[in-house]
Amino acid sequence: MGQPDRGETRKGWRARLVAVVGAVSAALISLGYSAYQQQVPTKVPQVEAGAPVETGRWRVSVLRGSAGSVLPSGLNVSPGKKALTLEMTLENVSSESSNLYGDLIVLADVPDAPRPTYYLLRDNEILWDLQPRMPEAVAAVWELPAEMDVPKDLRIIVEGVRFKPRDNLYAAPGWFPAGQVAEINLPVEVQIGGVP
Amino acid sequence: MKTRFVTIAGVIVAALTLSFLQTTTPPYAMITGPLKTSGQQGEAVTSTTFSVQVGDVARARTIGYNRFGEAVALESSGVWVVVSAELRGFKETMPVHGATIVGASGRRYRQSDRASGAPDVLSTKVLQPGLPTTGIFIFEMPEDETGTMTLVVSEQYEPQLQDEISLTLEPQDEAVRERLDIGPDGI
Repeated sequence: MGQPDRGETRKGWRARLVAVVGAVSAALISLGYSAYQQQVPTKVPQVEAGAPVETGRWRVSVLRGSAGSVLPSGLNVSPGKKALTLEMTLENVSSESSNLYGDLIVLADVPDAPRPTYYLLRDNEILWDLQPRMPEAVAAVWELPAEMDVPKDLRIIVEGVRFKPRDNLYAAPGWFPAGQVAEINLPVEVQIGGVP
Repeated sequence: MKTRFVTIAGVIVAALTLSFLQTTTPPYAMITGPLKTSGQQGEAVTSTTFSVQVGDVARARTIGYNRFGEAVALESSGVWVVVSAELRGFKETMPVHGATIVGASGRRYRQSDRASGAPDVLSTKVLQPGLPTTGIFIFEMPEDETGTMTLVVSEQYEPQLQDEISLTLEPQDEAVRERLDIGPDGI
């Protein structure tokens, strides 16, 4: 064992320098990127009521909103509740029949809203599958507590979904949430017969 | 110098081999997919657990039937496609819930839940081994999708390592009927 070779020492230093520069620049880039994302919040486009919105799997036009005590099936809502109904045209633009529209519309002003029930207005019955390329008039109904104040101008968020031919876990095809795609401001009419 | 060359070459070969293996791995959906059998309308197509034989196919704008003694008429923006079939189970009692028509564009139309209350619908029946079961499947689809149709039948939708039978349906020459009435014994 003698003195370490001068060349070896220099090599060691060089490797250490490369590692440090690499690590620091990776940290800086990642920090800068997340700071940039914080700075530029993704703006959800405002859409007029009635205009079609593409959400990936669905094409939806929200037409009108109303609050009342009668469901589209003709039955009354359960006691102590009122029905907030959004009428819309809904089309399945995917390649297969689907009933996964439950998370499509979110009421921005109603915290902890229950899941809506969808009705097919052609039959006035509960909607199950929507067939591809067959747009239908449907109504989404939220049963809310009767004493809850529903704003006259309702803010609605439309959620998008994205198809992945191979997901990250199983490499299986599937639909995944893709964030908010539109925001709609909709006046809510009070049905004749009113809110109980 | 030589060792270094051998090391670099080894790493490159390993990287290429791994990327080849990665890109050629069959996807999960294929590995765990259905066990497919296919055939034509009219013939009895047999898998290991059940068989399907398609009889008639009818298309109509409106279908009518009685539900709980009340007349029901269902209209469609497209057409109703009603397929009569005979099913046989071989090994054990089983339902046949999955029925889909692949239309002319390749889109997949599941049997209609709107018409699930119709009489003689096969999805409400259960196959007992050795007892042939007849009934109908009802679909709703745009008229231009009915040009070429393939019926896909399985115990459940999206079967995994279970039998799935595909039947090519004959081209529809007849014009679409205005109304089709479904009786207690189907069409």
